[in-house]
Amino acid sequence: MPSASSRYLPLGAGVLLIAAILVFPSLAPNPYVLSSGVIVLNWAVLATSWNFVGGFTGYISLGHGALAGLGGYATGLLITKADLPSFVALVAAALLVAALAVPIGFAALRVRGASFVIVSIALVLILLLVFQSWSSVTGGSRGLVVPRPFPGMLRPEHHRVFFFLYGGLLLLALATWWLLDRSRFGMGLKAIREDEDKAESLGTPTFAYKLTVFVVSAAFTALAGGLYALWFGDLDPVFQFSVLTGSYIVLMALLGGVRNLFGPVLGAIVVGLALEYFKVEFGSTPLHLVTTGLLLGLVVMFMPDGVIPSLAALVQRLRNREQSSIREVTAADLAEQRRREREAANS
Amino acid sequence: MTLQTRGLRKAFGGVVAIDGADVEFQPGRVNALIGPNGSGKTTFFNCVTGMIKPDAGQVTYGGKDLTGRAPHVVARAGVGRTFQLCRVFPRLTAVDNVLAAVRPGGLLHGLRSAHRRDERERALGWLTRLGIEHLADAEARNMSWGQQKLLELAGVLMAEPDTILLDEPAGGVNPALLDRIGTLVRELNAEGRTFVIVEHNMDLVMSISDHIVVFDRGRPIAAGPPAEIRADERVLGAYLGV
Amino acid sequence: MPSGALLVQSIILGLLLGGLYALLAAGLTLYFGIMRVVMIAHSAFLILAAYLAWWTNSRLGVDPLLSMVVTVPLFFGAGVLLQRGLLSRLRPATLTMMSVLITFAIALIIEGLLGYAFSGTQRRIQLGYGTAGFELFGARVAVVKLIAFALAAVSLAGLYVLMKRTQFGWALRATIQHRDAARLVGIDTERTAGFGFGLGLATAAVGGTALSLDTTIYPSLHWHWIGPLMAIIVVGGLGSVPGAAAAALLLGLAQSLLQIPMGATWAQTVFYVALFATLAVRPQGFFGGRLAQRF
Repeated sequence: MPSASSRYLPLGAGVLLIAAILVFPSLAPNPYVLSSGVIVLNWAVLATSWNFVGGFTGYISLGHGALAGLGGYATGLLITKADLPSFVALVAAALLVAALAVPIGFAALRVRGASFVIVSIALVLILLLVFQSWSSVTGGSRGLVVPRPFPGMLRPEHHRVFFFLYGGLLLLALATWWLLDRSRFGMGLKAIREDEDKAESLGTPTFAYKLTVFVVSAAFTALAGGLYALWFGDLDPVFQFSVLTGSYIVLMALLGGVRNLFGPVLGAIVVGLALEYFKVEFGSTPLHLVTTGLLLGLVVMFMPDGVIPSLAALVQRLRNREQSSIREVTAADLAEQRRREREAANS
Repeated sequence: MTLQTRGLRKAFGGVVAIDGADVEFQPGRVNALIGPNGSGKTTFFNCVTGMIKPDAGQVTYGGKDLTGRAPHVVARAGVGRTFQLCRVFPRLTAVDNVLAAVRPGGLLHGLRSAHRRDERERALGWLTRLGIEHLADAEARNMSWGQQKLLELAGVLMAEPDTILLDEPAGGVNPALLDRIGTLVRELNAEGRTFVIVEHNMDLVMSISDHIVVFDRGRPIAAGPPAEIRADERVLGAYLGV
Repeated sequence: MPSGALLVQSIILGLLLGGLYALLAAGLTLYFGIMRVVMIAHSAFLILAAYLAWWTNSRLGVDPLLSMVVTVPLFFGAGVLLQRGLLSRLRPATLTMMSVLITFAIALIIEGLLGYAFSGTQRRIQLGYGTAGFELFGARVAVVKLIAFALAAVSLAGLYVLMKRTQFGWALRATIQHRDAARLVGIDTERTAGFGFGLGLATAAVGGTALSLDTTIYPSLHWHWIGPLMAIIVVGGLGSVPGAAAAALLLGLAQSLLQIPMGATWAQTVFYVALFATLAVRPQGFFGGRLAQRF
């Protein structure tokens, strides 16, 4: 049985998260801090959505920024061109992006590994090209203005509403991830992450599994992107289809730990706050790129399981040195005992 | 359910690994597939289980055509397999390794808990039967080679195949474990499972198999009960390179 | 219908561009063959070399081609270091994914440092022979484009001879085809792999110098190169150098011809269309690479 701590820890963290989401808007001293909160929550949803693919199957996507951008543009265009109500447009856009994810996933996931990454990066580059050039529809480099969903609302109130909307979306994404994590479907996905050939030989239809979870991930990502369009009200292809967005998402998820429900959220809070802080202190400089690159490189080289899991493992090791947990010792001892017996039988 | 191939052929570049192999394994028995290194045994396994697509020929199981079908289709048809260099899911616990073989039916079944009590009991049952139940919550990568081999078998058994293909079950295991694997195969066979075993350890092959197929240069050159194969000069020739 | 001269000009320019693509794609193919690594930073190194050529010309006042005396050995060393110091230390099970992230991170670092050192301003080399050109079948071809193509062609030919005719090339091919077998016949596969990476990165040094002769450069330009290059190696069949070269010429030509009706920006989409079509229809590529089947 999963130990008690592993069962109640997510529950505790979830309650804590809900409390934080509920309380933060009333604690925020000014609208600027509140808007930073919205941005961090946006990152948290994006990183958690990314983790449907990255965490379960181990396939790394650098193109989720483009899926968010697509969700944003689809929402904006459905409002301006098709006159849909804002939130109907949001849901329709997510469904549209999910539908588009099927052929993309078909091309990217039929073969293993490398082609998925290649497609994910190509997705960003081609969408940037298209949305910049196709100015008659997308507004091109001038950008696309998305009408506000609540026209009369004052700015602080607007931030507050979107903070809660993002909070709700984050909880929905987390709940879905948790549901998959404990399900048979999730077990199949994790088997794919561990050894795809082996999973297939045990009867898991790996391609269908990967495609399904990619589509789910794309839908959540598009919802976050669409919500951003409604909140921010102005889309520019250079920011919506930036390779940097994708790399921030990957950095957040890896930093927090992709095997944990709350890992990406934690990573998003850390990196998202750092991004906001640096924007205020230093503005936008090329050194952002250097810092992001260095951090990403360090995490991949030295802590591929994430900083938080690595620290947890360290703490565990230190604690074990003092007083070891009874259960683990029993298992290890038994294994050792059996090994000795077997060796004795051999000699 | 008879596992059968007709005119199976597979070449890699210019090298012909399987050259028109007609093989029929006997249902309900322990079959062995032997032959010198490079005679195409593992490629044959891979073609049969869909890991690689044959260039020509046919694979059927119980009359059902499985030629070139995806590995999961073959698995679902009732043919399970282990790998030459034993493969387990390294960062999943032993019990999860076994539970990963449970097939979700439809979409809603897929969302059911992977740790449902009855499935978990069944998984633990297999771990117990193979003598590694004490490691149920250990990650597979922390287990010894022999334990991993048993774990791999437990996963295959969880999927409830009628026919089990074992690729070198004796590879790298100590004599005590070897005995245990031999006994297990006989027991599981007595319960109605068909086995096909690729193996170099002739003692094991001769002691547990009912029917032996000998491969040389990508095709079967002899087939029959152990006593007959032992006396066959072509087999000796193939092994000694005469 | 475009005029004949325009058509000829496009074909010539397309082939000249395709030559450069082929050289760079050969580098990418080497990395992939050796370690199954998709080296995202390849084009960032390309732009770095172009910047060094530009800097040599504008600060030292000498011909940009001379910068290769420094950049080629430098990049070779960087390639060896990259392979030995970083990529070979990754866990084999997750190598493909993690190496993408590492090389992606390196690309970001290079782009950032270029922006920091030289600012985001667009740069262009002013050469005495920069405007020189000649007529060919009624089409005008700039001399610098021809020099760039010649550089690419000579390097590619050199690479071919190195791979097919030398002891090192034999060891490298063996390492690519079957690492364990190569080790068994006494090849130091680790060292060979490192040198192979050095060789791959050296193509970026040559390519960057060639690029700098007639192209306006800026730090984020590498993203415009890595997309087409990745498309080329996929269409060519991951791991096949001749396949990549054929795909490079074909797609370079297609891009150049499509510029006539579609304009420069839309013509770029041909690479991505080819990439998606290849993966959807024939993931192992159209020109014979066989490494792609399991990757």
